[in-house]
Amino acid sequence: MAFDERILDEAADWAVRTGDPAFADWDAFTLWLEGDPAHALAYDLVMAGTAEAAEALPSVASAPLPDAANGPRGNRRWFAGLIGIAAATAAVFGAWTLRDQSYVIATQPGETRLVALDTGGEVLLAGDSRIVLDRGNPDLAVLEQGQALFTIVHDEKRTFRVEAGDSTFVDIGTVFDVKHSPRATSLAVSEGAVLFNPERQKVRVDPGHVLTVSPGSPDYRLAAIDPGQVGEWSEGRLTFQDALLMDVAADLSRATGTRFEAAAEAAGRRVSGSLLLAPLRDDPRTLAPLLGVAVRAEGGAWVIEAR
Amino acid sequence: MSDLSQPTGLAGAFMEHRERLLRFLVARGAGEAAEDLLHEIWLKVSRAQTGPVADPLAYLFRTANLLMIDRYRSETQARKRERDWSEAMAGTGGGISDSPSAERQAIASQLCEQVTQTLDELGERQAAIFRRHRVDGIPQRQVAAEFGVSLSTVESDLRSAYRALAELKERLDEA
Repeated sequence: MAFDERILDEAADWAVRTGDPAFADWDAFTLWLEGDPAHALAYDLVMAGTAEAAEALPSVASAPLPDAANGPRGNRRWFAGLIGIAAATAAVFGAWTLRDQSYVIATQPGETRLVALDTGGEVLLAGDSRIVLDRGNPDLAVLEQGQALFTIVHDEKRTFRVEAGDSTFVDIGTVFDVKHSPRATSLAVSEGAVLFNPERQKVRVDPGHVLTVSPGSPDYRLAAIDPGQVGEWSEGRLTFQDALLMDVAADLSRATGTRFEAAAEAAGRRVSGSLLLAPLRDDPRTLAPLLGVAVRAEGGAWVIEAR
Repeated sequence: MSDLSQPTGLAGAFMEHRERLLRFLVARGAGEAAEDLLHEIWLKVSRAQTGPVADPLAYLFRTANLLMIDRYRSETQARKRERDWSEAMAGTGGGISDSPSAERQAIASQLCEQVTQTLDELGERQAAIFRRHRVDGIPQRQVAAEFGVSLSTVESDLRSAYRALAELKERLDEA
């Protein structure tokens, strides 16, 4: 069915407007829809067409943004703006190219992003995370902050490496989760095996184990973990075992996009529990009985404190 | 008192604006299924334990709209699957192609090319803004800030991208 130009224009306009989460003019939209049965059909066409188009496009890793270093200035001021912004504000942008062929992919809290790796395999980035990949060196990924679940296609001729802080993890197997923050770096292995710091400690981490290191210290801790728990955040679940409340708050913020904070006097308390993220997004107060804490709203955040 | 004496913000808004929501669903093309869809929304809303919702009515309309969008997509996909199935049956005399996934992949990468070409023809900024908003999921206001342009520019760019992609879908569906 071919649509009238004007109807398609109007449908596109309504599609753009209703696509904004703040849109509130539903009565006007209803009136337009009632004007002609073709209006609703045109709107459905636009919504379906744009959704299918967005799904057909590859993830950012294989469709990089243009390199601003090569482009002229002038009306491409906004490209220059992207490059000019330092890593400190990097979280605002999803992805951009650095010098040479490196590129950064970053996520907001509550967001996850699947990135295809040039060598085959993929990495699932958790919320509030930043990873640097390099077209010129496809066997290396640098996790600057946050958490990522790697699924690697193992190749005898090349080894895939993940760097996080001072730690290097060399893949000799398939599925592993790396988490990095200024206070600690951890590696959990679900399938295959990963070698930690092959030049120094040289620890092999097998499936069902998690290795934790603190930056600036050669000490590490190796603990058992249910392999099913590795990367469980990607399935909407988090498990804490004697975790510090401030770490719990940070993990929840990353995963849900809702701001959680540990009250100052409770930040050092340890809690255990396993929870689903979806109900927590709907009502943060359900956290209270799950972890044996108290939760209250303050400002734009949910504050966790001891009961 | 019954549970309904203290409804949550959403359940209360639903009961108050039920007729408006029904009218919206009909206008959207739900036809005789409008009451059923309204009931689906009621079930979702009355069971959820949500925290404070800023604008309950807008939330309800958005839920209704998304429900209609999903319904349209699953209906058209089901029709397409039936068409493909009967074409496959007719063409092979009862057998099914032994590499359907390879064919699907070829169709998918062809669609990717066509979408990319359609967007690139509109202009670099238009293509980038569409990707940022619809593929990366960044809200329009933030896209405007990132690109250093006004919100109306973002809206205008999205409108032309949406137009072009709707026309592309029309052409492809007719083929």
